[in-house]
Amino acid sequence: MDTQYLLGVYKEEETLLAAFRKLKEQEIEIEDVFTPYPIHEILENHGRKSKITVVGWFYGLFATLGVLAFLIYTAVIDWPLNYGGKPSNAFPSFLVITIVLTIFSITILSLFTFSWRANLWPSNEKPIYHPEATDDKFVILVKKEKVDTGKAESLMKECGAIEVIEK
Amino acid sequence: MYNTEVRGPLILGNKSLSQITADITSPLYARPKFWWIVGMGISSIMMLLGFWAIYVTISQGIGTWGVNNTVGWGWAIINFVWWIGIGHAGTAFSIFLLILRQEWRSSINRAAEAMTVVAVGCAAIFPALHMGRIWDAFFILPYPNTRGPLWVNYNSPLFWDFIAISAYLLISASFWYLGMIPDFATIRDHAKSKIKKAAYGFFAMGWRGSVGEWKRYEGLSYILGGIAAVLVVSVHSIVSTDFAVSVEPGWHTTIFPPYFVVGAIFSGFAMVMTLMIILRKIYKFEEYVTNAHLDKVAKILMFVSLIMGTAYLTEIFTAWYSGNEYEIFTFFHNRITGEFTKQFWAMFIFNAIVPQLMWFKKIRSNLVIVFIISILINVGMWFERFNIVVTSLSKNYLPSAWATYTPTFVEIAMYIGTLGIFIFGVLLFFKYIPMIAISEVKAVNKHQVKK
Repeated sequence: MDTQYLLGVYKEEETLLAAFRKLKEQEIEIEDVFTPYPIHEILENHGRKSKITVVGWFYGLFATLGVLAFLIYTAVIDWPLNYGGKPSNAFPSFLVITIVLTIFSITILSLFTFSWRANLWPSNEKPIYHPEATDDKFVILVKKEKVDTGKAESLMKECGAIEVIEK
Repeated sequence: MYNTEVRGPLILGNKSLSQITADITSPLYARPKFWWIVGMGISSIMMLLGFWAIYVTISQGIGTWGVNNTVGWGWAIINFVWWIGIGHAGTAFSIFLLILRQEWRSSINRAAEAMTVVAVGCAAIFPALHMGRIWDAFFILPYPNTRGPLWVNYNSPLFWDFIAISAYLLISASFWYLGMIPDFATIRDHAKSKIKKAAYGFFAMGWRGSVGEWKRYEGLSYILGGIAAVLVVSVHSIVSTDFAVSVEPGWHTTIFPPYFVVGAIFSGFAMVMTLMIILRKIYKFEEYVTNAHLDKVAKILMFVSLIMGTAYLTEIFTAWYSGNEYEIFTFFHNRITGEFTKQFWAMFIFNAIVPQLMWFKKIRSNLVIVFIISILINVGMWFERFNIVVTSLSKNYLPSAWATYTPTFVEIAMYIGTLGIFIFGVLLFFKYIPMIAISEVKAVNKHQVKK
């Protein structure tokens, strides 16, 4: 059977972390790590950092400007109405809507960004390498063609993998 | 670092990871219990009554309510503010504690957020119907229309309110759903039945717990947490401006925004307490929702109750100190004494005095008493809204315009209907969604086992 991946399966966070460090040290490229809960050492040391928080900040900036521009356009430029002689450009009271709609826009936009970047959408058919990785197993995935398979396997076992699966 | 020796453990029983999954998901696989079916039946009947009231209101108009020209806001607005207050807990709870990196939120946040979403949904029904002609409700949206174009008035708190409530409903629902994605994936991989696998798999959206997913998940949680914390404070401040911006004795005060926000958190936490005591008892989740959790919620309730008491006294003092005869009349002759004395003292005693019993550890750890106190707080918070809405409106400036207010059966039925929706929603949540955030509890468990 033609297999592409090598999976090191661990039962504990400590053994997984040991294997993760060891493989990094030996410069074996780790494709992905699947864990039932976020483990910060891995999130910080594997691959590129996520920029979603930075993007979220810019969404906020554009949303603030956009909402303010809309309010000023409609209430001051397009159709100024006289509410008891108050100024049309009632800037302080525009801020309330600006704050709430900014929050609203950040939420919607960053949710869609998350869905796009993390590759998550309804009825998505991504391969599930190990069904217990969402329960109680920690899985390290390496791509066979990128690494020395024998060495990777022995390193994984050495660090306490309960099994090494080819897939 | 969290010191479990002093404050009591957050998860008992030295759980393994697979045990946590099995414990929390077991109600999803079990057949519905008898009490659950009975509860669904009763809440459906309550909902039917509510739908009848909504039908009467829409087909015949607001004239079927007890409101009049003087007391233009009755039970509908009282219940709206009451529900929205309860709906504040979930987000306040999970978000403030998320930002403060409090691990003890993990066993409770899911249920609190579920409660929020249902309660805000209940709340939204009232102002929508109070508009009178609900088929014209889209007039509140700012869109280029054929009437001018006549844009909406951005200076009106009622418009702020509409925006705030809609945004709050959507954001709290998104935050809730985001937290459930990893758990749905767990059920997808864990469930035996094909239908469950497909249904939960659909909502899990292909989650596998990979590095890229967790990274962005955490990033997004903090974005939503950070901005929703602002929203929690601003939504109820905006609700309070519905009152505070109008020139009515007892309403036109600057204390209203913080007073409303604190009140919302207070009633919400009380509802969380009520719900968690029931939930842990029924589903035997005592090992996840430990006494340590409930003790913390009780302490928060006790502290917030002090703030409530201070706010009540501040209002009364300011009314006296202002020397304004209308303010003095409202507070001293229409609340503390007068027609609405019972409602005032119910509010004061249930909110500011009874929760102070929880200074005693004996009382705090007796869950029957804590349960009763948490129910009393919600009753007291309902009376607070009654006091604000009815007493100020019924007797303001012109004695010739004074009137009193009694709700009609339609209004009462509508309130019962929303209670039905709430119970129905919570029961559905019990049955179909993991009640405790599995992945978060696993991360907390890690620190527990090390001890």
